[in-house]
Amino acid sequence: MSGAMRIYLTGVGGQGTLTATTLLARAAVECGLEVVSGEIHGMAQRGGIVESTVLLGGFQSPTIRPGEADLMLGFEALESLRAVPYLAPGAGAVCSVDFIPPPSVSMGRERLPDVEEVKEKIRRAAGRVLFLSINELGRRAGAVRSGNSALLGAACARGFLPFGPEVLRGVIRKYLPPADAEINLRALDLGAEQTKPAV
Amino acid sequence: MNHLLLGSAGEKHLLLGNEAIVRGALEAGVNFVSCYPGTPSSEVPDTFRRLAASGRFVFEYSVNEKVALECAAGAALSGALCLVTMKHVGVNVAADPLLTMTYTGLPGGLVLLSADDPGCHSSQNEQDNRIYARFAGMPCFEPASALECKEMTTAALRLARESGQPVMLRTTTRVNHLRGPVRFGPLPEPAPIVPFVRDPGRFVPVPAVARARHRASAANLERICALSEESPFNRVSGEGDIGIIASGISRAYLHDALPSVGPEPQVRVFDLGMSWPLPEKTLENFMRRIRVLLVLEEGEALLEHATNALAHKLSLPVEVRGKGGSLEIFGEYSVPQVRSALWPLLGLREERQAPAPPEALPGRPPNLCPGCAHRSAFYAARKVFGDEAFYSSDIGCYTLGLLPPLRAADFLFCMGSSISAGSGFARFGKTVVAFIGDSTFFHSGLTGLVNAVFNKHNILVVILDNRTTAMTGHQPNPGVDQDILGADCTHLDIESAVRGCGVTRAVRAGGYNQKRLIALLEEMKRETGVRVLIVEEPCVLYARRVLKKKHGQRAQVARQDSVAAECLETLACPAFFRTGEKCGVNPEQCTGCMVCVQTSPSFKAQKGEDQ
Repeated sequence: MSGAMRIYLTGVGGQGTLTATTLLARAAVECGLEVVSGEIHGMAQRGGIVESTVLLGGFQSPTIRPGEADLMLGFEALESLRAVPYLAPGAGAVCSVDFIPPPSVSMGRERLPDVEEVKEKIRRAAGRVLFLSINELGRRAGAVRSGNSALLGAACARGFLPFGPEVLRGVIRKYLPPADAEINLRALDLGAEQTKPAV
Repeated sequence: MNHLLLGSAGEKHLLLGNEAIVRGALEAGVNFVSCYPGTPSSEVPDTFRRLAASGRFVFEYSVNEKVALECAAGAALSGALCLVTMKHVGVNVAADPLLTMTYTGLPGGLVLLSADDPGCHSSQNEQDNRIYARFAGMPCFEPASALECKEMTTAALRLARESGQPVMLRTTTRVNHLRGPVRFGPLPEPAPIVPFVRDPGRFVPVPAVARARHRASAANLERICALSEESPFNRVSGEGDIGIIASGISRAYLHDALPSVGPEPQVRVFDLGMSWPLPEKTLENFMRRIRVLLVLEEGEALLEHATNALAHKLSLPVEVRGKGGSLEIFGEYSVPQVRSALWPLLGLREERQAPAPPEALPGRPPNLCPGCAHRSAFYAARKVFGDEAFYSSDIGCYTLGLLPPLRAADFLFCMGSSISAGSGFARFGKTVVAFIGDSTFFHSGLTGLVNAVFNKHNILVVILDNRTTAMTGHQPNPGVDQDILGADCTHLDIESAVRGCGVTRAVRAGGYNQKRLIALLEEMKRETGVRVLIVEEPCVLYARRVLKKKHGQRAQVARQDSVAAECLETLACPAFFRTGEKCGVNPEQCTGCMVCVQTSPSFKAQKGEDQ
């Protein structure tokens, strides 16, 4: 299976991670890639962790196990850190630096790791990384939730994915309601413009 | 109407397994669809619901799985081609009619979708419903990809119509919730309705009829077994003396676990897509060519036992390897687990670097939403009863009340068990408060309530009426007054139903009204017999998305003192936060329910713009 790639996406319920997953998978289909994608529903919308997968290049199983991910797309900083064991050696990681504190943290019983610590640990486990604030980019685009598209845009533009942002642009236009599409396209561009070099 | 799933033949779309099932049913010309929602099956009926305006089929959310199956079986007797959908535990509820309708047969055709949940992603058990196919005498299809979800649904419905035998379409969470490309076939007109011919000697299973029908059903299965031998879903490939038989999603794991580099592995693979009745002749031919057979099946060791028995019966020198080592009856399989079982057989060694160990990080358990009235009801009950009472819980969002500090769940079995199990529990000198949601109450709480009245049980039942089926995605139920798509629903009044069951002590209270909730619970605590408190407040997500409810205020902490801190600890709303010693309410998360303001003098209301 040449060009095979396992992409692991992680975020928090309510963030729109599953919409981003579907956009990504549809973009892969548009490019004629073989794709299978997976997600778990149910308890997730109650603020729990949302993990999903997109596997390109001929896989049949929709799951990714620890040590198997070639790319992690992390939509929340704590969940990105939690997903580090999923990374294969030399994997790519495109992650948000923004936290959504879980209840135990907002109640002061537990502490969040420092964002620099999160970045360092991801950097150590992955071969190639890109960090960005999807909240900020989303806000600039017109809605915090559109930050997911900024992350996808950045991942495409920086060569983490086997297609460029223009494919995603087409998919966003085709599948999102017009008002959402406009904001998400702006976010996609803002993400793609992230010029900070990948480390 | 225009919908992706009504597209033309030849179109290719990325579909969720559950959406592909819908398309498959449409391509078979399904006439009637009924269901009770439940993860991982819910997107099937929810998609049908959106397509109902196409006029191609009749659709209903039934009140429970038994009713859903009976309605569909009735429709199938009446000549309609039917699909019934539910999660695996729902089949237990529907088992009574199921095990008899396979005797009588259903001329219109009926397929039961059983969406199993190995790994208990969102269920109270991980039962393997392939056993039901064998138990009831139903042919069974097990798709492993989105395309197969479509194709097998069509094939299952066609088989059900042709044979009259009810058919099981058995999926697992991974299959329901995977996405893959699906090429559409032609979309025919709905299937013709088969005329009903009165035949009490077949359709009224009094003992003499039942005995004859048991034989008729077995003979029908025998004919279907011949079809299973020829089924395009049962494929044999490869060569060599090592054999693998795989069913369901394990087929996908096997595909990905076979070595992708180096020489083509010498294995014979039996892809078992139509898994019941077993194609024994094909299987025999397969087993005559191998010396070792690896059986890949999640859940119970059914194929393993069947192939072992076949080897024994035919005196075949085949060593059957199934459960053991990395392959357990528990949870799900995975590519690495399958590889661990497979590679040593092929003489290959795995070179896998152990992944980094998971770090101890703050957890993120699912939680009741900010503004959820369940929290308010649990808080009031804890305040009045504390640990004096035992809390009998039920299936729904409110099961999440088990978490501290609310701790509003001491035991639970299944849908509707709160009232009946609570009644029994209370018989032995204990105080019981049972919590049950509106949809669950209509599902199977009513019968428990009738029983409690009839047998003079001593129980306080709190019906948490949030006007929707929240946990599974806001499907309508008989208590709903406006459904998610805006159409009018027939509204059944819970209090009238409760009183109709013979309950004389029944009161309603607003879910956010702490003073009233506590006063009523105090009163009811002093009383005996069956008491019902109906706590009414629309689900906060549902209120915002569907009822377009606005709120004009937010809570904030007025005084930084121990009283405020105590409210944070005991009410534990996810909108609360703490920075050092300072307490606060996140204005972006606060929905303005004002339960904290009522319970703690250190909180106050603040006018706030709606988001």
